Amino acid sequence: MTKERNVSLTVPALPEYVDLVRLALYGIASKMKFSFEDIEDMKVAVSEACNNAVLHAYGGEDGKIEVQFLSEADELSITVRDFGRSFTLADNKESPSLHGKSIEEIQSGGLGLYLMQALMDRVEVQHEGGTKVVLTKKRMKSEETA
Amino acid sequence: MVTNKFTLRTENREGQTIVFVGGEFDLEVATQMRAAMEPLIELADRRLTLNLQDLKYIDSTGIGILISVVKARHARNAPFDVEHVPTHIRKLFDMTGITPFLAKAE
Repeated sequence: MTKERNVSLTVPALPEYVDLVRLALYGIASKMKFSFEDIEDMKVAVSEACNNAVLHAYGGEDGKIEVQFLSEADELSITVRDFGRSFTLADNKESPSLHGKSIEEIQSGGLGLYLMQALMDRVEVQHEGGTKVVLTKKRMKSEETA
Repeated sequence: MVTNKFTLRTENREGQTIVFVGGEFDLEVATQMRAAMEPLIELADRRLTLNLQDLKYIDSTGIGILISVVKARHARNAPFDVEHVPTHIRKLFDMTGITPFLAKAE
């Protein structure tokens, strides 16, 4: 079973459509028998990629987000793509996490990419006619087959 | 969407305001949540508590709003804490490092 399977979804780049992407992810990851915890991780990561597109790609203009779910063997790759102006996700040089910071130092922004990287096995960001984020998660083998 | 709709309910007890946040707390409801918290943040003589027992999902937008509340309450020297955090939400709090700022402290 190493066949690639592909599901695509295009949604308007608006906040109220991000949960639709989460629902699709939930369905696909469940079919692939990912654990509850892994599915929760991926839900957050995929939403963060979509949030970035919603917030930054189109500068208030209408736009769309294309999401592609590619399952292959024990791996799920989710590509989140917009066609707006590129925003540099890794722009922020200082660590956005709050670890070791005082209450005065903590900031409410910039956690999106940090979470994606913490929650997925692989995160790739490309800028070409928009922004493309590829998130990959491997499924832990719950049982070895003979 | 149909599932896990965001819910917000406020309960006033003696010296304490408890806000029950349920469902999906994400970008879509950020404006609503900020507006709801704004007047409560100002009540510096009351303890402000967020009860998250029915929270199903939070993203960086939601966590960002929690950080703003932490900072605003701290600036007013006003007590703030978060209670009944579900396990998978706790994991995100630990990961981002916000956990120590959400504890009861005085």
